[in-house]
Amino acid sequence: MSLYEQISLAVQKGEIEEVGSLSKQALEEGNNALDVLNSALMPGIEIVGEKFGRDELFIPEVMMCAQALQAGINTINPFLTKEQSSYKAKIVIGTVANDVHDLGKNLVKMMFTANGFEVIDMGVDVSAEKFAAALEEHKPQVLGLSALLTTTMPEMSKTIELINSKGLHNGLQIMVGGAPVTEDFAKEIGADFYADNAIEAANTVKGMI
Amino acid sequence: MRGLTAGQYRPLTDENIKAVHETSANLLQNPGIRCDNEKALELFAQNGAEVNKETKMVKIPRGMLEDAIASAPSRVTLCGREEKNDLILEGKRTHLGTGGTVLNALDLETGERRPTVRKDMKDFAKLVDALDNIHFFMLPLYPNDIEVQNIDVNRFFWALANTSKHIMGGVYTVDGIRSVIDIAEKISGGPEKLRQRPIVSMVTCVMSPLVIDDTYGGLLMEVAGQGIPVVCPAEPLAGATAPSTIAGTVAISNAETLSGIVLAQLTNKGTPTIYGTVSSSMDMKTGSYLSGNIEMGLINAASAQMAQYYEIPIYATAGMSDSKLPDAQAGYEKMATAMITALAGANFIHDAAGFLEFCTTISYEQMVLDDEMIGICMRAVKGIEVTEETLAEEVIRSVGAGGNFLANPHTMKHCRSEFFYPTIGDRQSRKLWEKNGAQDARQRSIEKAKLILSEHKPLQIADEVINDIKAKYPQLDI
Repeated sequence: MSLYEQISLAVQKGEIEEVGSLSKQALEEGNNALDVLNSALMPGIEIVGEKFGRDELFIPEVMMCAQALQAGINTINPFLTKEQSSYKAKIVIGTVANDVHDLGKNLVKMMFTANGFEVIDMGVDVSAEKFAAALEEHKPQVLGLSALLTTTMPEMSKTIELINSKGLHNGLQIMVGGAPVTEDFAKEIGADFYADNAIEAANTVKGMI
Repeated sequence: MRGLTAGQYRPLTDENIKAVHETSANLLQNPGIRCDNEKALELFAQNGAEVNKETKMVKIPRGMLEDAIASAPSRVTLCGREEKNDLILEGKRTHLGTGGTVLNALDLETGERRPTVRKDMKDFAKLVDALDNIHFFMLPLYPNDIEVQNIDVNRFFWALANTSKHIMGGVYTVDGIRSVIDIAEKISGGPEKLRQRPIVSMVTCVMSPLVIDDTYGGLLMEVAGQGIPVVCPAEPLAGATAPSTIAGTVAISNAETLSGIVLAQLTNKGTPTIYGTVSSSMDMKTGSYLSGNIEMGLINAASAQMAQYYEIPIYATAGMSDSKLPDAQAGYEKMATAMITALAGANFIHDAAGFLEFCTTISYEQMVLDDEMIGICMRAVKGIEVTEETLAEEVIRSVGAGGNFLANPHTMKHCRSEFFYPTIGDRQSRKLWEKNGAQDARQRSIEKAKLILSEHKPLQIADEVINDIKAKYPQLDI
């Protein structure tokens, strides 16, 4: 088995340390960082995404695979130029102000990572202003807003209003989700799309990009 | 999860068990059992039982009973054509599978009830072969398109040809038994090999209350004499052929199956003999035999405790329903008796897959549904593993307050083995469920059954063996 195949397999098995050390070895052997990313790490995570879609992998396993991918990317990142990122798209994600629930948001993040997207996780209790600032800084294609409480749902609306008023919605797709959120609510507050669960969220974004 | 050790459910106390035993032993001495088979009567008399030739009553002395209990093996291994399907019956090791014998099937295409035919035997064997949670294939149906003199060979052969799981079946004629054993010997590679690895076993029965009849007595002696594993279950019905009390029914069922074990051990000391009960109750409103009643679960769980007391493996009965179709009633009735009988540690729980309507009808989709039900029962049997690893103190500490366990390696390590994952039960979001046709469990099971029947390939019997059997038994229409 070639070194690239070993890296890909280690990603598929969620072997975090193994992916890190094999990626390092690949660089030491003179391989190009971009090549390691595109020909070893990404093919591994693609297979993970496919297997999850076929119910062959479970959520905790995909979580580990995503972490393993991250370990590989952390290793090669210093050797990549900014333009060389082979991520399909960049996504900023976070739970809205006054809401500290993050399990659902983390699941969505994991599914995005496993599908080859770069995710900038803003964490929980993120104000509209912070989201707007992140959009200006990272210039993502997608923004994901999460809320678990009916009482914090209006924060989604507030955040979108601020983004619109700052003219940041152009070329940006805003996605909302969380237990109390519905398709109708998403439309009402001017979000671009809504997904029922993490898998659907990843599939929807994949279809858009 | 076949063969996991249960025993968590114990409806009888240790004192109760002794009381049942005393009652049964007393009944076997007085009045004893009626035995309508002449050879069996002689055998009882020769070995010191008090036999009345006029009334045909046999009083079984305590010593004879104790000898039979001692000589019946505590472990009986029932084999499949593939070793992975072997069943080791002993202690509280639990297995569940199909049972017998019905005359009707719900047609997989039309849903209509129709008489069972030989093709159903082939199809059900193939279906069960593919369903992992069903541990054995007891011949579930009587093919109405086969002449009675050809019934035994047809039932056994077509099951053997379509599944590598163990085959147990009721038998109808002495000639049939001999031919079935001959066929099984050919498949196993000779008489010795079949005795070492019995891929077939047989069931006769006692007629409740307290009668070993001529035909079944003869069949029992034939199978026992041949050294093939045999069950001689009792089927007392509370309120009809047994007292209306559960305790009394357990006691009479116990006495009856023990009388069969005594006869089998007198015929061939040490032969694999399985304790058995198919006991249930009669409905006091309609007079009907019942198969989905919770009392049946109690009787069978208690009987499992009796068999464990004697250290003889048990063939028990659970997982049936009186409903006419795979509906909610079928679901809850089946689960109730299957769960408690499995938790009692019964070794070979038959009738637990595919049956409906007082054990008279078999259904393909019900078989698929029951496969899932058995999987759930076995997960309960497996219980809770408590170790340093599973208590996960360090893991809890490392995740800490406010964290989550989803992305922890410990979760990945245990997520497959700790949880039961249904294949029929729906856990999709409403949106996905609607997208997939908004089907209920029965509809999903019909689809799964059709898929298995069109795609599954059971392990084939070698061509030369098939040709040999084909030449000798033209009535199989191979």
